[in-house]
Amino acid sequence: MLSYVLRRTLQAAAVLLAITAAAFGLFYAAPSDPALIACGPKCDTAQVEAVRHSMGLDQPLVAQYVDYLGGLVTGRTINDVDGTPIECGAPCLGYSYTLHQPVTEAIADHLPVTLSLAVGALAVIVVLGVGTGLVSALRRGSRTDRMLSAFTLIGASVQIYFLGYALQYLLVYSTDLFPLPGYVPLADDPGGWAAGLLLPWLVLGFVNAAVFARLSRAQLLEVMHEGYVRTARGKGLSARRAHLKYTARGAAPPLAQLLGLEAGALFGGAFITETVFGLGGVGKLAVDAVVGNDLPTVVGTVLLAALCVVVFVAVADLVVAWLDPRVRLA
Amino acid sequence: MAEPDHPALRVRDLSVSFTRARDAHGGADAVPAVREVTFEVAPGEVLGLIGESGSGKSTVGLAALGLHDAARTRVTGSIQVGGTEIVGASEKRLCAVRGSRAAMVFQDALAALSPFHTVGAQLAEAYRLHHPGAGRAAARERASEMLERVAIPAARARDYPHQFSGGMRQRVMLAMALINSPDLLIADEPTTALDARVQRQVLRLLDELRREHGTAVLLVTHDVGVVAEMADRMLVLRGGREVEQGPAEKLLTAASEPYTRALIGAAPTLRTEPGTRLPTVDDPDPSPAPARAPSARRDGAAPARRSGREEPAAPTTVPAAGKPVPPIAEVRDLRVEFPARGPRLPGLRRPPLQAVRGISLAIAPGETLGLVGESGSGKSTTARVLAGLQRPTAGTVRFDGRDISAAARSTALRRELSREVQLVFQDPYASLNPRRTVEQIVTMPLQVHTRQGAAERRERAVWLLERVGLGAEHLGRYPHEFSGGQRQRVGIARALAVEPRLLIADEPVSALDVSVQAQVLNLLMDLREKFGLSLLFVSHDLAVVRHFCDRIAVLRGGEIVETGTRDEVFDQPSHDYTRELLAATL
Repeated sequence: MLSYVLRRTLQAAAVLLAITAAAFGLFYAAPSDPALIACGPKCDTAQVEAVRHSMGLDQPLVAQYVDYLGGLVTGRTINDVDGTPIECGAPCLGYSYTLHQPVTEAIADHLPVTLSLAVGALAVIVVLGVGTGLVSALRRGSRTDRMLSAFTLIGASVQIYFLGYALQYLLVYSTDLFPLPGYVPLADDPGGWAAGLLLPWLVLGFVNAAVFARLSRAQLLEVMHEGYVRTARGKGLSARRAHLKYTARGAAPPLAQLLGLEAGALFGGAFITETVFGLGGVGKLAVDAVVGNDLPTVVGTVLLAALCVVVFVAVADLVVAWLDPRVRLA
Repeated sequence: MAEPDHPALRVRDLSVSFTRARDAHGGADAVPAVREVTFEVAPGEVLGLIGESGSGKSTVGLAALGLHDAARTRVTGSIQVGGTEIVGASEKRLCAVRGSRAAMVFQDALAALSPFHTVGAQLAEAYRLHHPGAGRAAARERASEMLERVAIPAARARDYPHQFSGGMRQRVMLAMALINSPDLLIADEPTTALDARVQRQVLRLLDELRREHGTAVLLVTHDVGVVAEMADRMLVLRGGREVEQGPAEKLLTAASEPYTRALIGAAPTLRTEPGTRLPTVDDPDPSPAPARAPSARRDGAAPARRSGREEPAAPTTVPAAGKPVPPIAEVRDLRVEFPARGPRLPGLRRPPLQAVRGISLAIAPGETLGLVGESGSGKSTTARVLAGLQRPTAGTVRFDGRDISAAARSTALRRELSREVQLVFQDPYASLNPRRTVEQIVTMPLQVHTRQGAAERRERAVWLLERVGLGAEHLGRYPHEFSGGQRQRVGIARALAVEPRLLIADEPVSALDVSVQAQVLNLLMDLREKFGLSLLFVSHDLAVVRHFCDRIAVLRGGEIVETGTRDEVFDQPSHDYTRELLAATL
């Protein structure tokens, strides 16, 4: 197992390094001139050149990349447009000349919202997805199964901005059944935190649970008929205990992998949900940065999203290896 | 222990039918699998339940422990295990019987053992389930004991099933089934997936253990050899109904039902006269009156071949004294390596797997060469090299004097080669495209290799189908509409379409039921005579090879241990390994 963990961690690190290079390349491939944007429309050529120098953009590309990587690890000092030095602590993702703050700080401001949203949505995905899948699988072909199938099909095909606005209108504005969506820091008021995020959790979770439910149903049905489940029952285990101990174990690996991907995507920001419910998370930060040509923030959020996917997929792989000895002993 | 007045298993008027949940019209229809079967197994007795696929034999075994899918199966009649009624029993009562008074061993131990738990844990679980008072340590102790009993070191209790060989896994299954000393063991094809030597070993162990524990055995199998070896009595099933039951000796030698006799005679044994027609269960007469062939290219050029039936002792085609005939195909010092799986990091790379290590063999024109060996012996790889599908790592490969070692990389060369060399595959389900009609399948080689028009190809397809015992009415059908044996006939017709000179058959009958195997072997014998084919016949089954081949090469671990004519190899084997294989063949 140890060698597998080591191997998988090294792989993840290599992928991350490649992504930093790609994201950094994106910064340069972009048609806009960061110095010009930072300086503003009223600058003349000499001023732009001065800004370019103070931002370090006149250095060779490789030197800038090394600086960037170094900043990620140890932090660095960056000059603002007017030349004032700004301390950018590790992990430094650069300085946003639009927001006038280091990108890391900007992300840190928006991260709690995204984390809260993602954690709750994931819980909904797991409970709703596995639950529906389990009930459908156990009652395959029944009326319940068909109803749940229809339900998941709706979940898979409906758009968040439709469902989100519709439910917000029906449940919040028209009937007061749900509290008004919004973000209150967990530390300040746990009840308010949960209440404000309840509807976003349900909407984001429901839409993403559909795929999960379909996969769990198929997985469970397949594993239920595996020889080892039959053997377990042949030993004298009741059907229920055999399914709990063997079917669940056999069905889990692909589900863990899908969940890893979902988690990676959610922790990287959920722009549409954030917009629908007026939450200022990382997704909103990223889209605003794209719209405002704020390249350091774009690169920073892209890196964060990639980091989330790589880390959660790696974690999912480790979970699979832990569940299935054939993987870790291969 | 069973109470003395109860048989270990008593089955009365057992009928089992599967209901499909609902068909297109919303109605449920029932497919009968077992119909009114009645039998008993006395304590300590071995009953061989024998039949072909679809005979319902496995269904009887599963129903005896109530292990069928309850939602989809209807069971009527009565099944008593040591006096306890199984049909209609509550889950709780079934759980008390399963694993304790009656246990089951399944065919494929790799699938039947949990891949997620160590074998020790799986054995201990079986023990603890029926000994609630026993602690973990006691259960582990008992598991180790049982493992040692089936000759697996107790230290390996901490290993997972995939780390064991096939034979060891089946021994683990046996240990698990017998850990609670059940009165009844249901063994469903316990050795079918194993090589002959391992099969013999496992059967011997099963016999010892059942004697020690006084266990009665219901031995479910398609293999007459296994029943002959093990069973006191046997019961023959066909289409869910009993054909005949009685003492094994009587049925094996003097069965009263023709079906039983045909089933027993269908599989060649080491005593069958080689090359003779095998009796089949319902012979559809696969060899119609000789017709003149609308030839693919050389009309009637096929050299006449001597009938193997008339003078079975003298192989015609083995180079006679003095005048060596150049071989049609040969490999010399063939080596094939496969890169090892695992981390591709430098320094950590494992040495490549050597599948074939220096094999030299030749096939004379008109000769049938048998390649025999256990799994992993390199026999299929060698066949693939000769077919131009596998690139040799080293050595020369010649067909008709021409070097074809590059065929696996060169499409043009392989295409040329496929005009002369055709393949018949093991699995008739996997080797036919399910989306093509039989006509498209059979005429595909003609389309590739000849300029015949559609009408001409069709005529040829009909002629070919007739040769293999099918007809024009089958042209428009799809593979799923055929039985396994019929599909294999379609595969043979496809292989013969371009009149190849060499036919490579890789385990062509091992996926088939014995009676179908007999039909296909008979057909291949007819065809090779009619077309003057040279054949490379790959098989793990010594009896089949002996029956079918002129010359034999015995492979082991990628090397030839012995090669010679049929009589040399089977009557005076020169190598210990060949003798071992022969001794293990049932």
